[in-house]
Amino acid sequence: MGKTRTRIGLVAVAAAGALLLAACGGSSADPGTSGAPTAGPVAKKGGTIYYLTNADQFQTLDPQVSYTGEDLAFFNSTLFRTLNAYKFSPDAKEGTSVVPDMATDTGTASDGGKTWTWTLKDGLTFQDGSPIACKDVAYGVSRVFADDVIVGGPTYAIQFLDIPSDADGSSAYKGPYKKTGQALFDKAVACSADGKTITFHLKLAVPDFNYTVTLLAFSPVPAALDTGEKYSNAPVSSGPYMVKTYQTGKGGKLLLVRNPKWNQTSDDYRKALPDTWEVDFGLDTKVIDQRIIQSTGADSTAIGLSLEPESLPIVFVSPTEAQPQYTGRALSTLDPYVSYWAFNMVKMPNLKVRQAIAVALDRNALRKNAGGDYAGDFGDGVIKPNMGIDYAPTGLWDTLLGKPIPPTGDPDYAKQLITESGAGPVTFTFDYAQSPTGDKAAALIVSSLARAGITAKPNPIEPGQYYGIVFDPAKSHEMMKAGWGPDWPNASTIIPPLFTMNGGFDLSQYDDKAFNAEVLAASTEPDRAKQATMWQNLNKEAVAKMLVLPTIFGREQRMAGDKVSSIYIWPAYGSWPYAEMGVIS
Amino acid sequence: MSLTATDAPIGDDVDLTEKTVEVAGRSLWQITWGRLRRDRTAMLCVWIMGFFIVLAIFAPLINHLVGVDPYTPDSSAISDNAGQPYGPWAGASRQHPLGVEWGTGRDIFAQLVNGLRISLLIAFAATVAAVAIGTVVGIISGYLGGRTDAFIGRIIDVMLSFPSILLLLALIPVLDDRFSQIGLEGNAARVLAIILVLAVFGWPYLARIVRGQVLSLREREFVESAVAMGSSTTRILFKEILPNLWAPLLVYATNLLPGYIAAEAGLSFFGIGILPPETTFGSMLGNSLSYFLLEPSYLFIPGTVLAILVVAINLLGDSVRDALDPRAGRN
Repeated sequence: MGKTRTRIGLVAVAAAGALLLAACGGSSADPGTSGAPTAGPVAKKGGTIYYLTNADQFQTLDPQVSYTGEDLAFFNSTLFRTLNAYKFSPDAKEGTSVVPDMATDTGTASDGGKTWTWTLKDGLTFQDGSPIACKDVAYGVSRVFADDVIVGGPTYAIQFLDIPSDADGSSAYKGPYKKTGQALFDKAVACSADGKTITFHLKLAVPDFNYTVTLLAFSPVPAALDTGEKYSNAPVSSGPYMVKTYQTGKGGKLLLVRNPKWNQTSDDYRKALPDTWEVDFGLDTKVIDQRIIQSTGADSTAIGLSLEPESLPIVFVSPTEAQPQYTGRALSTLDPYVSYWAFNMVKMPNLKVRQAIAVALDRNALRKNAGGDYAGDFGDGVIKPNMGIDYAPTGLWDTLLGKPIPPTGDPDYAKQLITESGAGPVTFTFDYAQSPTGDKAAALIVSSLARAGITAKPNPIEPGQYYGIVFDPAKSHEMMKAGWGPDWPNASTIIPPLFTMNGGFDLSQYDDKAFNAEVLAASTEPDRAKQATMWQNLNKEAVAKMLVLPTIFGREQRMAGDKVSSIYIWPAYGSWPYAEMGVIS
Repeated sequence: MSLTATDAPIGDDVDLTEKTVEVAGRSLWQITWGRLRRDRTAMLCVWIMGFFIVLAIFAPLINHLVGVDPYTPDSSAISDNAGQPYGPWAGASRQHPLGVEWGTGRDIFAQLVNGLRISLLIAFAATVAAVAIGTVVGIISGYLGGRTDAFIGRIIDVMLSFPSILLLLALIPVLDDRFSQIGLEGNAARVLAIILVLAVFGWPYLARIVRGQVLSLREREFVESAVAMGSSTTRILFKEILPNLWAPLLVYATNLLPGYIAAEAGLSFFGIGILPPETTFGSMLGNSLSYFLLEPSYLFIPGTVLAILVVAINLLGDSVRDALDPRAGRN
């Protein structure tokens, strides 16, 4: 059922340097949210929350490298503070709005969105007691430019800051280790004389830059304690907790204890209720589910991530309703991700052929295999309904393909499209990350396309290497499986990455001048309502040109022990609201 | 050769006047078969194996007769909610005798029969290849002796000390890639790669056994006389020595075969076996893991068939060994 898809996606992503991004919900309420936040006993300070995971380690503890939604949420709540952060709320609109964290307000834009200024609060300190000043935030941002040392992680700082590029397209600033072009950086990220005010000068108008700075890449790092690529082993905390021990592998754990130098008066954002956070690595996913369902002893304050398929019928009555005994601590919500198949536009240039594949595909069978209603709803584009104003139905399956296409596919119409395409018999290969569910999906693709006379050849790839291989144009095939979630609730983190060559996730190899110009216009549009309409049109254009074949708007199920408070999905990252959670005594 | 009655030794107390019947001497094979015929376990195993082999060879026909096929999904047999089959035993019904697959609704019986075909093909081919390589290398090593023997012996040592499972996991994707470069694609490449790799790691044990046998055989009179008559080495190896090795070879082959069936299942389980939409025992068992608490039949059905097949071949192997050499019998 559903979770295999999500988990495999995340595994693949972890290995590929966190290409699936931090997630955001949107401003429309998710109609299927089953678990309202618990209104029961209020948690007090103290206790330990156990975060049980199947992973052997965190991909990284380096704030500038961290990029997966769950990790950003967890570390932002515990270790690293940022200028702005997302409000804690289960509500899709509130939970994706920004509030000040280290700054006194959410930032002031001037020069039409090309200059952004924040003023830091008083009393901010690192775990060693040294004060956090503008230079520490600037130093943190500067690390992103050292892309030979700080590998992976979001590169928005490089894309946005007003620093010229070298001839090869890389930034003229090479990071704080080489210090080449340091003056350029110091001009782009300026500190006031008292070290309280930080100003970012951007090369283009970025109306949503106040969202960009919620990424951990914009969190402070003390230059004196930076250890380069080893910083991940012992990062310096600016938040309410600090790393006590970190052992990876099976039986390993990450133990976070209170940071004595952190004070609540400078931080009204985090509740920081439990005394310790213990992340237990390398546990079997089925064991995690069993422990949290039973919720006895220490497991009553344990939390887990996606539930396994076989746990779903035990915990849920239906995809939107938990069994009575688990109500309040079992959740099923739309996650931030869209599953789709990307077409390689270089190897599959014929639009009618791509459309024929979309028409012939039995999406109903694929969705059932992924977990049916538990897995999510049929997708019609790369922007999801929980993205709020950026979403509008594209009409892909109703009008864009020439006639309404049933979820089970229309082989006869697909045959007709192939005849019209003039391409002759269609044979192609598709890439996917290997898993039992993935293999079954591949079999369904082969059989459903065969109905229209299309020969599809599956090419399973080991999940850990998946994104490494499909991003190599020499190794990827005509069609490949992918998933994507936005970095913040603006489709500027969906359309540009997916469909422009510099975006970073352009599996379609799509590089169209007119389309690029439209994307640039939308990215820099200061009127949010106008911008939303532009994103809606670009989303429609992307599926009308069949750059991608969207399949599922994903849904996720997870569960916490019965002594954990604030159990809801934080729409900002599609994660637990870590800084709000506590132990009910 | 055959003996006539007159050639037989005549005892004092034997009256031969009435016995003019020709007594046909029996070859090793006839003797062995005779002993096997009297072994009930062996005969049961022969029937079981025969049944499965027939099932495998006529898989498409059988599936056609039952009215199922392993590729077509049946959305009507599974729920919208979770792709769970309707009804107990994975939705077993007249239409789907052993139920349907979770998530797709593909027929389990059809997958099983189809998987049997692929599993047996791989196991038989790999066994034949491993036995062939092992026999040739073993005979040469044992008969020639000296440096050749030492050289081959070291190669075998190296082969035996490899962690073969890890190499299997690493080698199959590589071979697969190489085959696709020469135009062999999809499952044809996979099957060939699996057979090759299994055979390459299967022969060293056999070569050791054969070498040991040959070491004693080459000192025997019939070999010496062949040498004295000036027979070529090749002739001595394959016409004089080889026929005396059939017993151990057969026993070893019957031990290798079930191992290979299980190995193929293991490879598919690890995801480097057969490509979808084909299914094998391994992929069926691998799929079952996610669901066996809710739907134990996914684990039971392929598991039971695999167990019966492997036990049958193993028992048959034991019986063949007993029949070839009754003195070393189990009791």
